[in-house]
Amino acid sequence: MKEATDLTTRKEEMLERRQELPRIAPMVDIFENDDEILLHADMPGVTKDNITVNVDNGRLEITATRRLQTKGSSSWQEFSDVEYRRVFSVPQSIEVAKVNAELKEGVLKLHLPKAEAAKPRTIKISAV
Amino acid sequence: MWTRVNDIDRMFDAMDLFRSRLNRMFTDYGGTYGEDVGWRVINGSPRTNLFDSGDTFQLIAEVPGLSKEDLNIRIQGNYLELSGTRNSDAPQGYKAHRVERDTTSFTRSFTLPADVNADKIEAVLHDGLLTLVLPKAEAAKPKQISIS
Repeated sequence: MKEATDLTTRKEEMLERRQELPRIAPMVDIFENDDEILLHADMPGVTKDNITVNVDNGRLEITATRRLQTKGSSSWQEFSDVEYRRVFSVPQSIEVAKVNAELKEGVLKLHLPKAEAAKPRTIKISAV
Repeated sequence: MWTRVNDIDRMFDAMDLFRSRLNRMFTDYGGTYGEDVGWRVINGSPRTNLFDSGDTFQLIAEVPGLSKEDLNIRIQGNYLELSGTRNSDAPQGYKAHRVERDTTSFTRSFTLPADVNADKIEAVLHDGLLTLVLPKAEAAKPKQISIS
């Protein structure tokens, strides 16, 4: 009898924690000019409350979750609730305090301004 | 004797574990990190979901970065056509390091499971998702049958 209870308890302990949402890496475009690095990421269905952007020690992490509002029974389903996550390494010369992000039509636009010291400079040549 | 049963039970536990891994393999297929992609025009069309809630159909399509001017919806009976163009939003004066996001035009047509009332369709574009609410035609609506 005791053996049987042991088995059940062990079975319960062995339950695995299931990953909640499938994880997807969003598609990105990365642009750069003299003043900043600009990142565009496609995240359809994500609202601005469900998105986090973290810059830490040269590591940029974007995470967002999408929860779809649906009703009725599904006739076909090609996409579902997901967790978007992608990590980039960024140069240390990014001014973390001035990073700003906008979310419009499911596209995240992240502006990463460069620190003054990292901007290219033109050196004047003085005539002798 | 008990140890034998115990062994068998352990074997079944292992099989259960294996089975759940296999099950998950199918649900996770295409959803693993780095393999699947955020948005892409698949076979020339964005991904869609269709839900049937009795009186109406709800069609949701992923269209990030498209404004309502970029989209075109046509309907006739139970035939629905969704087309659109995604223009490049690359800013001027920048050097591109990485361009993964598609800029294409697409047309996708659907045959809905029933006729819809074309005059009462609502289309909403929000956060890169296009949601169409399509009320079914009178003949296609579910009817309550009273028992005499």
